[in-house]
Amino acid sequence: MKKFITGSSCAIVFLAIALAAYLALGFMDVAADRRPSALEAGFMTASLEASVRRRAPQMQNPLANSDDTLIAGGKLYLNDCVGCHGGPGQPPSHFGATFYPPAPQFPSAGTQFSEAQIFWVAKNGIRMTGMYPQGASYSDSQLWSLAAFISRARNLPPAVVKSIQPPLSK
Amino acid sequence: MKNFVLGFLATVLLILIVPLTYLRLGAAEVRGDVRAPSWESRLMRFARHASVTRSAQGIQNPLPHSDEQLIAGAKMYLDGCAGCHGRPGRPARNRIAYAPPPEFAHVGSPYREPELFWVVKHGIRRTGMSAYASFYSDQQVWQLVEFVQQMNNLPPAVFDAIQPERP
Repeated sequence: MKKFITGSSCAIVFLAIALAAYLALGFMDVAADRRPSALEAGFMTASLEASVRRRAPQMQNPLANSDDTLIAGGKLYLNDCVGCHGGPGQPPSHFGATFYPPAPQFPSAGTQFSEAQIFWVAKNGIRMTGMYPQGASYSDSQLWSLAAFISRARNLPPAVVKSIQPPLSK
Repeated sequence: MKNFVLGFLATVLLILIVPLTYLRLGAAEVRGDVRAPSWESRLMRFARHASVTRSAQGIQNPLPHSDEQLIAGAKMYLDGCAGCHGRPGRPARNRIAYAPPPEFAHVGSPYREPELFWVVKHGIRRTGMSAYASFYSDQQVWQLVEFVQQMNNLPPAVFDAIQPERP
């Protein structure tokens, strides 16, 4: 038993030194334009989603499920989100792909999150990503309209798409 | 000896499994508007700095320093960087609690020119700093870097040249 504890203590010291050396010698790759392994990326994405599911409220969107809500959200989206997350009917955002983790492309790839989870992420942001919190810039009601829009960004009613298009410039 | 090895292996396994379980169950904080504990920010800043220093070894600025380079860099900075990193004399309206973008106009940069060059080109993983190599030429990035390094100490002629035009 005494040897078991000695072995255990040695393992703790060994791992602490190995970690400190790995970090201090600069071996943690920080380049955003190189991808970590699929294993690491997949695990971290799953962990992030698990944390959002655990923390976000479980509720329905309090706004009316109507084209007006989608149009209001769509206008906000085209103002502030489209640069990284891509626009409806447009190719995926090149800028959004230059982050790591890359910004999810809602109009082409959709999202697994519920509207309440989208609302929560938009409001609070996501730590250690380029997703900064919007809670100080938008009211809750605005963020709910945005969540409704993003949730359906892959499958928007044509009337909504038409009315959020910017007027054609001459 | 057998017990020593068993104790060693069991502890290594435990130390790997506990944080992975913690993460996978969604226990980790993900909100971007909540500050991380200071030990975590400090440890990550330290490791990031070590990694950038290592990656930028051997890079050298080929451009001569001049007012023209600074002015060209300032224009790119004010267009593309000031929103998160602040402009001279005006702090950024920054809402990113973690990891916060450095406010160059207040605190300067912890990096030397070759390191900044590397960061602008490749970005920093797990932050809001994206990789700009596909948007700017190397020469433009060097101009940007020179401006960032000198923005709190600009020659008066450069300072005047980059002020917004008054109507």
